[in-house]
Amino acid sequence: MIGEEQLLGLLKRVVSRSPAERTELVCMGGRSGLTRYTKSAIHQNVIEEDTSVYVRVAEGKRLGVVTVNRMEEEELVQAAARAVEVARHQPENPYFEDFPQPAQYQKTNTYFEATAEFTPTARAETMKKIFAQSDRLGFEVAGAFSSGEAEIAVLNSNGLSAYQPLTHAQITIVPVSEHGMSRSSAFSHDVSTIDFEGLAARGLERCALNKDQQEIPVGQMDVILEPSCLADVIMWLSMIAFGSSSFIEGRSFLAGKLGEQSMGDNITIYDSIVEPEAQGLPFDFQGFPKQKVVLIERGINRGVVFDTMSANQAKTKPTGHGLPPGMPHGAIPWNVCLEPGDSSLEEMISSCRRGLLVTNFHYVNGFLAPKNALMTGMTRYGTFLVEDGKIRHAVKNLRWTESMLRAFSNVQAISREREVISDEGGSFALMPAVYVKDFTFTGVQKEESE
Amino acid sequence: METKEWLKAALENLSRDGVDYADARHLDRESESITVRNEQVAGLSRKSDSGFGIRVLYKGSWGFAASARLTEASVMDTANRALEVARASYLTQREAVKLDGSQPQRGSYKSDFEVDPFTVPLDKKLGLLFGALKVLRQDKRIGVAEGSMSFFRTDKLFLSTEGAEIMQSIMESGAGISATAMEDGELQRRSYPDSHGGDCLARGYEFIESLRLVENAESTREEALALLSAEPCPADTTDLIITSSQLGLQIHESCGHPTELDRALGTEISYAGGSFLTLDKLGKFRYGSKIVNLYGDATIPGSIGSFGYDDEGVPAQRFPIIKAGIFVGYLTSRETAPIVGGQSTGAMRAQGWNHIPLIRMVNINLEPGEEDLSLDDLVADTKDGILVATNKSWSIDDLRLNFQFGCEIGWEIKNGKRVRMLKNPVYTGITPQFWNSCDAICGRSEWRLWGLPNCGKGEPPQTMHVGHGTAPARFRNTEVGVKK
Repeated sequence: MIGEEQLLGLLKRVVSRSPAERTELVCMGGRSGLTRYTKSAIHQNVIEEDTSVYVRVAEGKRLGVVTVNRMEEEELVQAAARAVEVARHQPENPYFEDFPQPAQYQKTNTYFEATAEFTPTARAETMKKIFAQSDRLGFEVAGAFSSGEAEIAVLNSNGLSAYQPLTHAQITIVPVSEHGMSRSSAFSHDVSTIDFEGLAARGLERCALNKDQQEIPVGQMDVILEPSCLADVIMWLSMIAFGSSSFIEGRSFLAGKLGEQSMGDNITIYDSIVEPEAQGLPFDFQGFPKQKVVLIERGINRGVVFDTMSANQAKTKPTGHGLPPGMPHGAIPWNVCLEPGDSSLEEMISSCRRGLLVTNFHYVNGFLAPKNALMTGMTRYGTFLVEDGKIRHAVKNLRWTESMLRAFSNVQAISREREVISDEGGSFALMPAVYVKDFTFTGVQKEESE
Repeated sequence: METKEWLKAALENLSRDGVDYADARHLDRESESITVRNEQVAGLSRKSDSGFGIRVLYKGSWGFAASARLTEASVMDTANRALEVARASYLTQREAVKLDGSQPQRGSYKSDFEVDPFTVPLDKKLGLLFGALKVLRQDKRIGVAEGSMSFFRTDKLFLSTEGAEIMQSIMESGAGISATAMEDGELQRRSYPDSHGGDCLARGYEFIESLRLVENAESTREEALALLSAEPCPADTTDLIITSSQLGLQIHESCGHPTELDRALGTEISYAGGSFLTLDKLGKFRYGSKIVNLYGDATIPGSIGSFGYDDEGVPAQRFPIIKAGIFVGYLTSRETAPIVGGQSTGAMRAQGWNHIPLIRMVNINLEPGEEDLSLDDLVADTKDGILVATNKSWSIDDLRLNFQFGCEIGWEIKNGKRVRMLKNPVYTGITPQFWNSCDAICGRSEWRLWGLPNCGKGEPPQTMHVGHGTAPARFRNTEVGVKK
């Protein structure tokens, strides 16, 4: 970590020396460590330190981007000169007007000393306790535990200056028995808030249930989807539907259909950086303040997210969702939340006459038919048959193929509790559990033919 | 070269500190990626990335530290931190890591190319892409026309406490175009020469020119438009012919990943998954029919799955994986190879200086059929079936058994002829069942090597460049379409 004063000072000097008409610098860097384990022993343990600067310049309406991971002032000034050369060979971008003006940002608390100072030895000591906990039940543990600190700064020749430090602690615990596996995970900016023992205990309890998996016939069944399943699906919806490019180009199911109903009236999906359970980066990679954006409101298509250029193209206002310079994807939502309901996972199970409890999805793909949000994927880490309000037994992993518009039109219940599913870069999904009627399963995981 | 001397000194210090083994990699990478969409440059960036990573084996436990700061003090500090991390790993050790007896190598490797893509003016590259897009956009129903190019130049230095010293320099170039046709809510896409950014080889700009993007744009556009009015792929069980690039992805997902020994040993089960090809199956499991032969081969010139030495300094090799349908070999590393009684196949690679090497695919190739069967011959030999081309969607379970692939285009085959185009073709199956149903593979003249520059694995995620050589093949009684 370079620190706010020193980093912004360096970037300011580079902007002042840049040969470009206009200059924007986006700096991302930090120190992170990751410990991976299997069979209750660490098999991979890494730390890295890196900082990259995206130098974007504008010559009139021509843009050029050069990225370097050297932090010497001269190197950055030279990168600006190379970016000018790139810009001069590009056609004009009719949607570029200017880099954003200085702005005020929401305050979000994303940095905690306890996490920044969490060492590889501390991660190993934590895992040693969890391994001992699983040893007592005769299970092995696999997974990953990462922690680190990062800083993101944006500075441009209009005087905009934005800086945010972040820390992250993220752990995945996968208990493994001779019969099956389960998975529990946690994310927090503050490592001291993670209840490692409780998390492991929940995973171990689920793992004990995941045995004697029986095969059930494929077809339509009610499902109770836990939050991590929805996080996978929402990530795909962000790519194929809630971003600016898919909307402008007509590939999104929202394109030309704002104001129309596409999901059930109990579904509200929005992007927000300040939630009771999680906080995110208050600006995008252009330094534009992040706005709360309602994507789906009571099942009705309300909007998508934009950066400055895609907003100009769509003749609307930016929402603060720009990606790092030079990327071709337009704007993408980063902090997608599904509004909670008034149920609970236990109530959903007890109300289910016959259905499946799905704890995790695997390898979801949303490119089958994006206009219908048709997706496929597998279940993983424990799929359980629920009958007459009780978990009866585990079943073999299943392939599902389903339109998410149909699935989100068939939601019968939503939990009050939500789970933060995140990566270390300031993005997260905040998802409840949901009960979906008539979800479509199309295959089974097994070695012999179906 | 100061960096080399600093890294050597750091390794000597680690040896004095009593480590079992240590290696250091320094990497310099220049890259350029260009994406044009309709009339705009949607993305264009040039990136310089350099740094070093030091891997330490201490009392049988691994540690790794990496830094972009290239000073003598930073190198020494990073080496010490790698040792500190290894000591932390040792706190939970249950079994000590032992490396195979691969001999340390001293040498160099350089991939061949004719035209350095980084010297080709940007105007020329953009002119080629916009020229192709102009052809794609000659029908107003093409809502999105896209073209892209990417170039990588990587210089790598590898040193180890065993005395290895290797320099490698690899140039890679890739490009592709696509047209998305839209009408009345229908959306269909065709790509050339493949989806996922086209094709990529370890060549220079001459490879981009050989793709003839402008000349192939018209047929790409016309197929996208024709798909708008094509019938949907029916749900059925029928014979399936898979053309070359889609078969490459099929091999990637259903043969390449499950034969990575680290997956089979469980080190990826909390993320990418395990493998149904467990150790007890080695040498006896019937993976496919007798005509199915698959090899790993990192020695093929011009492929992005080729190199001189892997990131443990082991020389590139050609080795069997599936022989006459029987599973006979894994992709291995120096740590894992002794577990199955062998030496590393040289498959350990890291995305960058800041990543540790993992077992990654090299070129995983399907041998062509013995007879020189053409694709037309294969269609003529098929009474009822479907032919599919170019990947659109992909999904496979955590053990690599149950897969579902969607393709951009399909054709129904009746009595040896393509009778109609089909949109949204999807097929699904169980890996060994599927490969055992393979009854014909086209010959050498149909065989082509494809580059796949986006293979994901590991935590933190690493993207690797791999290759797949294939010829079209037929699979009997395959489930196509999606059952209601």
